[in-house]
Amino acid sequence: MNQEEPKDFALEGVKVLDITGEVGLYTAKLFIGLGADVIYVEPIDGSPVREMGPFHKDRPDREGGLQFLYYNAGKRAIALDVNRPKGREIFLKLCGWADLLLESFSPGYLDKLDLSHRKLNEVNTKLVHTAITPFGSTGPYRDYPTSDMVSAALGGFLYLGGTGNRKSVRAPDNQSYRMAEAHAAVGSIAALFHAGNTGEGQFVDISIQESVATALENAIQYQDLEGVCRRGHSMEEAGVGFGLVPCKDGYVCVAAVAWGNSHMWDTFVNWMKDIRAEGAELLEGEKWYSPEYRRTDEAFEIYERVVGEYMKKHDMASLYEDGQEHRVAITPVADGKSLWANPHFHERGFWESVYHENLDGDIIFPGAPYRLGECRWQVGEVAPTLGQHTREILENLEYTEDEIETLHKEGVVYVEEFEETI
Amino acid sequence: MSKNLKRPFDGIVVCDFTWAGAGPICTNFLGQCGAEVVKIESRKRPDLVRKGGPFKDGICEGLERSGYFANRNPNKKGISLHMASPEAREVAVRLIEKSDIVINNFRTGQMEKWGLGYEDVKKIKPDIIYVTMSLQGNTGPHSSYMGFGINLNALVGLTHLAAFPGEMPFGTGTNYTDHVMVPTHTLFGIIAALMHRKKTGKGQTVEVSQAEASICMKPTDIMAYVDHGKVERPSGYHDRNAAPHGIYKVIGHRKWIAITVFNDEEWGKLKAFMGNPEWAESEKFKTLEDRLRNQNKLDQRIEGWTKMEYGEILFKRLIENGVRAGLVYDGRNVSEDEALRERGFLVNLDHPVMGITQYNRFPMIFSKTPLKMETPAPLLGQHTKEVLTDFLGYSKEEVDQLTSDGILT
Repeated sequence: MNQEEPKDFALEGVKVLDITGEVGLYTAKLFIGLGADVIYVEPIDGSPVREMGPFHKDRPDREGGLQFLYYNAGKRAIALDVNRPKGREIFLKLCGWADLLLESFSPGYLDKLDLSHRKLNEVNTKLVHTAITPFGSTGPYRDYPTSDMVSAALGGFLYLGGTGNRKSVRAPDNQSYRMAEAHAAVGSIAALFHAGNTGEGQFVDISIQESVATALENAIQYQDLEGVCRRGHSMEEAGVGFGLVPCKDGYVCVAAVAWGNSHMWDTFVNWMKDIRAEGAELLEGEKWYSPEYRRTDEAFEIYERVVGEYMKKHDMASLYEDGQEHRVAITPVADGKSLWANPHFHERGFWESVYHENLDGDIIFPGAPYRLGECRWQVGEVAPTLGQHTREILENLEYTEDEIETLHKEGVVYVEEFEETI
Repeated sequence: MSKNLKRPFDGIVVCDFTWAGAGPICTNFLGQCGAEVVKIESRKRPDLVRKGGPFKDGICEGLERSGYFANRNPNKKGISLHMASPEAREVAVRLIEKSDIVINNFRTGQMEKWGLGYEDVKKIKPDIIYVTMSLQGNTGPHSSYMGFGINLNALVGLTHLAAFPGEMPFGTGTNYTDHVMVPTHTLFGIIAALMHRKKTGKGQTVEVSQAEASICMKPTDIMAYVDHGKVERPSGYHDRNAAPHGIYKVIGHRKWIAITVFNDEEWGKLKAFMGNPEWAESEKFKTLEDRLRNQNKLDQRIEGWTKMEYGEILFKRLIENGVRAGLVYDGRNVSEDEALRERGFLVNLDHPVMGITQYNRFPMIFSKTPLKMETPAPLLGQHTKEVLTDFLGYSKEEVDQLTSDGILT
């Protein structure tokens, strides 16, 4: 990067309290990127996310879960039992400290602990309180449990992951949860902006089901306007020139037609002619502009013979670069390995390498999801071990050394240092 | 600061050059939060998805029947401005003078051609938030590469993993990156920039690489590969931490139920609900490890049971019995779902050409600053005159002149 070093953090001084479980991790991570101070509250016996693979060196280990390390980098952590009266008291003090509370308890859970939004708002009137729940904090399904795939199903997203009468495939990395987390981040920061202008905090209610139903492209409108229940597009429906083609080491994705744009098809055919694909001239002519023709058996046969044969002999990376040089919208169907081999992301400095002393090694993470011209972005310090900052956080809340030790002995909090010395 | 703000972005003005998917979804949110969004199109260069289905009653005529376009663009004002003509720039400049945010999702270089790159725009409005959303960012060896949603899904690794083992990858079946991954990150960056501007008075650029924003939300494959050389493989609808974890046929055309069991307790509940059939007591299905190892057999057994059941009934009863399950909703199920309706996620707006049609609000409910769902998507150029006279201070005569000069088409 030869740009001038950007100066400050956009969210410096913003204080976030993150008491989420399996859903919610990514929300606070977005705040870390721009310099917010995030305290992560986890159960005394550790977050379930610590048990999630894949693990460093492929060896299951509580401190080596790659997902935990990625989503929690940069957070300070307190291990706390919020169900105990003294734990609840600490939690209330933390809510007094925070600008934003992120939680993913079942609807009504905090109310039972007398920690309702109304109560928290009395402690801190400017607090933004964001709750992520399977179906929202209101409505007929509010008490229903979920899992990532159940949310994908009931949000309508899963249905699109297949064609015809075939069953669907799932998107990777628990995308239903990720969608809710990303929307929770947007809702939270919008509410923080409002609180900054007015001094008024509020409750932000995020439903995983709704977050998923936002990703249906036009499926709701197909039903509404044409009475059609659409699924994913099959190769047969799309016709040739749009979709995956097998190549030497995998697949490439070609979009040589879109919205009846004949210019794109010509560009594609010119590429095929330029590299002397055998029979490339068979792809020429008006008829190829027609979506109906591109769906015929004849079109599939010619496309397979000319384009398919050529692609089979070449690898993803060279087809990608050569095709793009010819202005064709072609991309590799990347897996972890080819994604890492792609020079573009390296050259932009996208990947972040973080040395983890306790694991005696570097871990590679995806870096900044966007870049601000005047502000810094950070991946953050190494993710906290269990109870790593419990003592420091309690000291900031003005608990004495004796009190902290008692809280630890009573099992209200877990202080990492005590375990090491005892 | 005023305490009378009803919504977070009341008073914020957005000069919106975006089109197609990810960009308009971004400005849609800003509009729902109170911003004045002015969408710039031209008859010579309309938003591409005005020609994208579905269309009202299936009739693809003109530019005003697309539900694809409509759902991305409610609560916006639409002006038509033929940007290729030099006089049009002057109108855009007047709009930018009043704007807080200028946003586009063109390929790198298009705004510069119009003399509206960041350096130009900063001279017009020094504290502007200037947003670009190109496919792969504004720098790097592939910055000028092109692609659609389908290409982007493939490039970032979503397509490879959304597949049945050993079969050709399928992907998510939609331009998924456009709908959530790209717009949410862009919005987060924009709002952070607004907070920074409030503190410092400074504007800045927000540069989004659609590819990088997307990768951040699916980190596992790259982390695992670089860490220990393992390439993540697709698993259809299975999950490494659960079994059974599948999609099972129920009575009806293209109807399935998703059932997910993550531990022995949940397995016990499912068995009890099925009436503890003999096969379920087999050693093959005893522990999670056993069930994962024999998952295909397990799936067959479960489907043998579900295929004679009504999905709607089975879904509710499984939930009541502590099993995490859900119907695989199609578009109709979604638009008729009780929870989505009751919570106001689905909103009907009256469009001048399409009539009353369905939109979705952003997936969040604010207790103090409710999202605005008031006006349907604009007709092309619907608000040109209104915006030029009432907002930009053009006289009626000037507008007539610009119109006859072909600038406002």
